[in-house]
Amino acid sequence: MSEAVINVENVSFSWPGQSAPTLQMDAFKVERQDQVFIAGPSGSGKSTLLALIGGIVVPQRGTIAILGTELHSISASARDQFRVDHIGFIFQQFNLIPYLSILDNVLLPCQFSRYRRQRALAQGTTLRSAAESLLRSLDLAPALWSRPVTQLSIGQQQRVAAARALIGQPEIIVADEPTSALDADRQQRFLDLMQRECEQACSTLLFVSHDQRLASRFSHRLALNELNHAAHLEDQV
Amino acid sequence: MSMLIRLAARSAWNRRFTLGLILLAIALSTTLLLGIERIRHDVRESFSQSVSGTDLVVGARTSSVQLMLYAIFHIGGATNNIGWDSAQKLAHNPAVAWTIPLSLGDSHRGFPVLATNGDYFTHFHYGDKQPLRFTAGQPFHNVFQTVLGADVAHQLHYKIGDKITLSHGSGDAHLTEHADKPFVISGILANTGTPVDRTVHIGLDAMEAIHLDWEGGAPIKGLMIPSEMVKKFDLTPKTVTAVLVGLKNRASVFALQRDIADDKDDPQMAVLPGVALDELWQVVGIGEKVLLAVSGMVVVVGLAGLVSSILASLGERRRELAILRSVGAHPIDIFFLLALEGFVVMLVGVLLGIVLLNVVILLLGPFLTSEFGITLHPALPTKEELLLLLWTVIGGLMASLLPGLRAYRLSLSDGLTPKV
Amino acid sequence: MKIFLWVGAIVITGLFAGIVGHSIFDNRNATAALKASVAAQDGKYNTGDRLQQAPLVVSNPPEPTVAQSPFKEIQWEELAPASWDPMKPFKGIDLNKLNDADPRADAALQKAKEYWKNAPINPAMNGKSIKIPGFVVSLDGEGERLKEFLLVPYFGGCIHVPPPPANQIIHVNSVKAIKGVRTMDAVWISGVLNVKPTSTQMGDAGYSMVAQTVEMYKDSDGKQ
Repeated sequence: MSEAVINVENVSFSWPGQSAPTLQMDAFKVERQDQVFIAGPSGSGKSTLLALIGGIVVPQRGTIAILGTELHSISASARDQFRVDHIGFIFQQFNLIPYLSILDNVLLPCQFSRYRRQRALAQGTTLRSAAESLLRSLDLAPALWSRPVTQLSIGQQQRVAAARALIGQPEIIVADEPTSALDADRQQRFLDLMQRECEQACSTLLFVSHDQRLASRFSHRLALNELNHAAHLEDQV
Repeated sequence: MSMLIRLAARSAWNRRFTLGLILLAIALSTTLLLGIERIRHDVRESFSQSVSGTDLVVGARTSSVQLMLYAIFHIGGATNNIGWDSAQKLAHNPAVAWTIPLSLGDSHRGFPVLATNGDYFTHFHYGDKQPLRFTAGQPFHNVFQTVLGADVAHQLHYKIGDKITLSHGSGDAHLTEHADKPFVISGILANTGTPVDRTVHIGLDAMEAIHLDWEGGAPIKGLMIPSEMVKKFDLTPKTVTAVLVGLKNRASVFALQRDIADDKDDPQMAVLPGVALDELWQVVGIGEKVLLAVSGMVVVVGLAGLVSSILASLGERRRELAILRSVGAHPIDIFFLLALEGFVVMLVGVLLGIVLLNVVILLLGPFLTSEFGITLHPALPTKEELLLLLWTVIGGLMASLLPGLRAYRLSLSDGLTPKV
Repeated sequence: MKIFLWVGAIVITGLFAGIVGHSIFDNRNATAALKASVAAQDGKYNTGDRLQQAPLVVSNPPEPTVAQSPFKEIQWEELAPASWDPMKPFKGIDLNKLNDADPRADAALQKAKEYWKNAPINPAMNGKSIKIPGFVVSLDGEGERLKEFLLVPYFGGCIHVPPPPANQIIHVNSVKAIKGVRTMDAVWISGVLNVKPTSTQMGDAGYSMVAQTVEMYKDSDGKQ
């Protein structure tokens, strides 16, 4: 029996200063352990959706419930805490903090979330070993771990970012175009690793990308243009 | 919370070159600000300590400040002298307890030579009514004997019994020397922290003696009076540069001051040292305020540099801030991160500035003492300095809020997806 | 936000503590000097000005010379015996217009000087605890702090206008060295007045005091 981990109902959101809403969705549901591909070209409201799911902003109308918690019912700082406790993010590029070591980058969420810290410690005796095993399973050799972040290739950086998102096994992983900067065969490899790890951790994966070729790997596929009524005509170039 | 401090520290370390330069700028501007205040304070203390218990300084008519500078600090030159009769008249005045006649004009290797009599060692006081003390020897009792101030003996490595030659005129250059009349060091004074330390003391008769065969500042050609013969001449001075006067009743100073000013035979003036110093400080005070204002502005410039550096780095760091937000940082934490970086750099800069100040004083102090008779010493900050530091820190606090606020606003509007 | 405020608060508190500590340590009596000095006094007095005092306080019979007795405010006139008129040599001449270069005034001035040199003191004032305002003439101090000074009744007394007579000068030694007081600053002094009896030597007689307190003089509503 799977419950909805993400439940968006009748939502309308406009950014402050904008008259027309950027996002209008009737219903959008993601269930536990789903792996969802969302096609989101620019202008379709992708950043807005991520901001809403992440609890950065709340909609003017409608509700967003993550793991049963309605985001508008808790305070902003509670939402910040909720975000790190239950969601791991991977971005398109510049995912890592340049002045921290690789291990410190991976362990960042554990510094902010006690919940994830405890779950990570269940995986390894120390946080460090938990991070290291995750890096290993993401195909990053130990020799790389002591390198400064700037010396890694894009592919390696993205995998470190994935490790950071996965550490402590948050219930939801949100990936925002993580493969756009990679070349074709590395893209596939990356997706292999990601999807495998998500299955192992029983996490839900939300994969946003404009690259249709990757869509075939996902059981659930959605187009944000269709979901979002407010996607503007002017952006359809 | 400690995570954010660690993040701020790592972030600052990552940009340590730029921040290091700014740190240096803030440190130097703090040193400047505090240094000016310290010098102002120490110079005043130093000057005020130089003479004590003297009621009047009598000399030829000039500005009161100039007379003080010359008679007490041996800085600058006398425009004129007063007659020996006037000095004698003063000494015999019923209101007067003691007098010390002084004459200046010669030098020894850059140190001024002061001609006076035994009354100097008995009656001259400095600081908090401290008398002069000898570390070795005794006052001069023969014509060609000299007593050295502590710094003169120390710097030139003199001891009792050494012979020295005096030069005519002041300053460093070896001008025409009184080579034929050397002086034997009969005494060395203890350290006083006043211009006494850098003075070479001889008798008024000795001053006459070395100029016997001179005329108008140069030796008379063909005339040479050997030192053994000088006693055959009358060595009473004709003029003196100044006279220090101590009264039996200090309240009678005004009356005597008037009498001296009204003397129709010899144009003189009498100055109360305390009053003359107060006048000096009034004049100098304006310049001091200007200097302080300027150095305050330098600190502001340093802080502005800090703020603009951190603001400039903000552009590159927007993705980093978004990442932090994605792992649970509140916008306030972002504010905190940026503000803390600025504040800590400023704080360390200020502390470094204080340390730098004392190091500089430690290194340059002796030089200043020997050249100008001003003593600076490393010390804990005075109240005025603490006040200046307080303002600097408050200013730094305000300044570091700026990048923090900017980061806060950006973080709010960027969310997870900054427009890089 | 919390730690930021904590760090800032600790540093600022530390500096404040240092400043307050200095204040208390240095200036128990004359803290007012720092604030009042420049603002209240620069350029406010003209030559010959005297300080405004409370309406004439009738002096009580002499009190025992113990520091605990309260200080009675007195006027400068009380320092001279009732019969002695300091202005006698100047009957008919305006003191403020008197300039030493004025030849007409010269003769009067000479007469006045003699008269004032021999101005008698008021022996009844000996041992009295008094409080009196006047202008400072600096004598000696500890560094920048003033310890010994003369107190005169009017502004500019040592420069332009003829100096005060002997019974209008108080030789003051302050118990505590005071900061921020310069020549011609106006102050209140409180202490026990000591009178040295007249002697044949010139200028031996006079008033002196060890001042328990020296405070800046603050007018309530501009100068008199």
